[in-house]
Amino acid sequence: MKSTAWGIVLAVIVALLAALPWIGNTVLVQFGINVLLLATLAQGWNIIGGYTGYPSFGNSVFYGLGAYGVAIAMVQYHLPFWVGMLLGLGLGVVFAGLLGLAVLRLKGHYFAICTLGLALVMTAIVSNLEIAGSNIGLVLPLLRSEVLFYELALGLLVLATLTIFWLSRSRFGLGLIAIRENEEGAAVMGVNTTLYKVLAFMLSAAFTALAGGIYAYYITFIDPVGVFDIGLNVKMIIMAVFGGPGSVLGPVAGAFILSTISEVLATKVTSIASMFFGIVIVIAVMFMPRGIAHLVQHIKRMGWGYFIDNVRTHRL
Amino acid sequence: MYRFLFFIASLFLTPAAWAQPVTFGASVQLTGPVANTGRYYKDAYEFAVEKINAAGGIKIGSVHQKIALKILDNQSDVNLSVRQYVQLLAQDKVNFLLGPFASNFVLADSSIAEKSRVPMVQGGGASDQIYSRGYQYIFGTLPAASNYFGSTIEAMTKLNPRPQTVALLYADDSFDVSVAKGTRELLNKAGLKTVIDERYSTNASDFSVLLSRIKSENADAVLVAGHETEILNFIRQAKSLDVSPKLYSFTVGVPSADFRHALGKDANGASGMTAWLPSATLKDQWFGDAEKFARAWKTKFAYEPDYHAASGVATVEALVNAIQAAGSTDPQKVRDALTKVSFDSLYGRVAFDDKGQISLPQIMVQIQNDDVVPIYAGKDFINKLQYPLAPWSKR
Amino acid sequence: MELLFQVLVSGLLLGGLYALMALWLALVWGVLNIVNLSHGALIMLGAYVTYFVVTGAYIDPFAALPIAAAVLFAIGYLIQRGVLNLVIHGPMFNTLLITFGIEVVLTYLTQLWFSADFRTINPGYAGSNYTVGGITIPYVQVLVFVIAIGLTVAMWLLLLHTRTGRGIRAAAQNLVAARLYGVSPKSVYALTFGLGAALAGVAGGLYGTVSQINPYIGGPLTAKSFVIAIIGGLDNPLWVIVGGLFLGIIESLTALYIGSTYRDVASFGILVLILIVRPSGLLGRTT
Repeated sequence: MKSTAWGIVLAVIVALLAALPWIGNTVLVQFGINVLLLATLAQGWNIIGGYTGYPSFGNSVFYGLGAYGVAIAMVQYHLPFWVGMLLGLGLGVVFAGLLGLAVLRLKGHYFAICTLGLALVMTAIVSNLEIAGSNIGLVLPLLRSEVLFYELALGLLVLATLTIFWLSRSRFGLGLIAIRENEEGAAVMGVNTTLYKVLAFMLSAAFTALAGGIYAYYITFIDPVGVFDIGLNVKMIIMAVFGGPGSVLGPVAGAFILSTISEVLATKVTSIASMFFGIVIVIAVMFMPRGIAHLVQHIKRMGWGYFIDNVRTHRL
Repeated sequence: MYRFLFFIASLFLTPAAWAQPVTFGASVQLTGPVANTGRYYKDAYEFAVEKINAAGGIKIGSVHQKIALKILDNQSDVNLSVRQYVQLLAQDKVNFLLGPFASNFVLADSSIAEKSRVPMVQGGGASDQIYSRGYQYIFGTLPAASNYFGSTIEAMTKLNPRPQTVALLYADDSFDVSVAKGTRELLNKAGLKTVIDERYSTNASDFSVLLSRIKSENADAVLVAGHETEILNFIRQAKSLDVSPKLYSFTVGVPSADFRHALGKDANGASGMTAWLPSATLKDQWFGDAEKFARAWKTKFAYEPDYHAASGVATVEALVNAIQAAGSTDPQKVRDALTKVSFDSLYGRVAFDDKGQISLPQIMVQIQNDDVVPIYAGKDFINKLQYPLAPWSKR
Repeated sequence: MELLFQVLVSGLLLGGLYALMALWLALVWGVLNIVNLSHGALIMLGAYVTYFVVTGAYIDPFAALPIAAAVLFAIGYLIQRGVLNLVIHGPMFNTLLITFGIEVVLTYLTQLWFSADFRTINPGYAGSNYTVGGITIPYVQVLVFVIAIGLTVAMWLLLLHTRTGRGIRAAAQNLVAARLYGVSPKSVYALTFGLGAALAGVAGGLYGTVSQINPYIGGPLTAKSFVIAIIGGLDNPLWVIVGGLFLGIIESLTALYIGSTYRDVASFGILVLILIVRPSGLLGRTT
């Protein structure tokens, strides 16, 4: 389809989604908030993991910082929500910048483990900070407006996706892809790899922190274990990877599909739900490691052979 | 033709027996790390609803209505728990909410009840944070965390020789921090000297450093506010490091059968507290009394109930009482009725203060010869406390 | 002073067990280049196997360890041959994800079959201890320490001096060349993973005697093992021992002088700092 046709289709979908609170019921809105936030997180990860090729396990740090930014601003200093969001955003981006400089020098496994360690350290540090309520967390004021959270989450997702769309066509984005494919080559060609990587990390952190901020106000209670949760980081990754890392809409699709299935399972066959993600990853990594986006592109040509081919190329 | 018309007509002439059941909903930890306590609540809710329905259900005006129960498994995941409460209200359209286990779950889940203006009566969370938010729709049957060690400390002041030094250890979660805050004040008032006052991380598995400090300071009494698994580790490591204070008391574990079973003989001597004992003096409208309840529970579920179970039953009974008093299932009216309930149950007297919390004294207990023995309640010793505890090598 | 020594001794003993746990992570990572997030889950399974053998057959926990090792070897071998071998040449990130998936599935299945109730392995002599110069040394902890160090040294000897060990090291260094010399990669990889899993089985059984067993103990153990593997580097099992002891002592000293809630800040802080400063680990060779 041509890009203008795609554009119109997507605009219609977004308009429908925006109208959901009035068409659908409360459960759908709640579900929607969760899915939209997850999709934003997946897109955020997409920037550093999908486009730049640095699989970050530390995005939950930025999520938590965003959440705590809002919580501390609103609870300890009685500032309004949007100030809290700015604080959370600031914390996330600054941390990403500083940590990025130190951590983005690592490659592959080591980067992943280091960011994992970061998430663990943050949990431990914040659970000792009085201003963050230590380990017992903070209780935020109650706001009876699910519609607000829904529209905010939708707006954030649209913003994130548009950013990635811009990224995929910009010099910056091409630079990131170059870094992913061959970092030394990119450097030789004149790409300022350090600057690009750190900027990508900061951009990723920005969306993640904002999502965390919305979440904090919505759920009214946060604690270190809940917001710096590594399981959440893994979820972001799975959704991005399942959907298609390095594509514009892949992570959104991944988030929507996986969340829907998971939610249905959790309500109908509760017990299997917790195993669901585990099985999905195993199968997805074995048979479709490049995600749905890639699958959709190639399955017409190759049929079932697509899956077998994946296994054949990657096995011992 | 006439049969069809008759059928349609009968739908409009709904007799009392066809009244919609009143539905209670809850999201409980049936799987996941906290499941072994979560199951007490699921069983309690089911047992209570079963008994009440067998006795005719809830009497609203002149109509008897059955109670339907919808329980979801939140897999010990707080975020899922929150979503499930939303689902219970919006999709399953339950009338009232029962609670999950654990203060951090209650903290998050109760916001849903409050936002939707539907009463939630919970028996699983006791932390101060729950009741300090000014929420109007949340009621709880676990007594205040700050008073958990109340009867224990009172008993300590009456012991001879009096313990001189106390070590206070607590996990860093909401409930235990509340307990510690209250305990500090109680210790000060009682004039007992605190030599160690230390917070540790939830799920800690290694207590060797804390135990070594206790030994080195020679603390007479050790008070620990924590979770079952931590306390289990604590006692085992105390034995292997040969740390034997004259008295040690724990906020959880001691009244529970699987805890005593896991420790075997090493459980003897440990003190704890419970707001509930299966005594025949606690009369109940549906179960007879607490002792009968405990026996029936054991027969039905093949494990012994503890205060979690009794607390869960109490929440169901509180809702039923409030609905009957209000004469309707309107959430606002039932909420107002809940503020005024006051009745006797197998759990004790159920009544809520202006913040929504029950007020029940904790009974100090001790494990002696593999049994839970009540030691101190009100102002007197019920039984003799094994004190001072003999060193491990001599037990 | 006595308090300090007591704490140091406790830290050391704890460190020995940590080292054994980290060993299998380091082995799999160093040889197969697989970052194994299902690490803790297999340790947890080892603990369960030991528990069931002990309570079912009434034998001493330490006698049950070889059985746990054998069972876990089989499980590990199967996982490698059945699942991991299929993705091993893909982007390394995939093995990370797939092992995470395995961890979720294993934890869930364990909880489904054995419930979330916690269990303990409580041999009769569990609480006994020696006192040396005012320091109490728990008997079981010492046994655990000795076994852990012993196994680690045995693994080192195996890698260095036996044919199998040389095959494993050859496959780690240069798979193509190793193939030319008759090493069958599928078997070697599966064997390595299986050996590592056997170690995990023993570590789990030992862990069950000093702490308690439930389906969720895996996660924190994986995290700690990463720290030790990074401190010790991935090349030599003996350095992993040093890493484990180091961590045990650091944690205990942090708990003593700063506060019990700061242990994780110390251990994971060290992980992050070491990676930033010297990615190949404190003691490993620079790549």
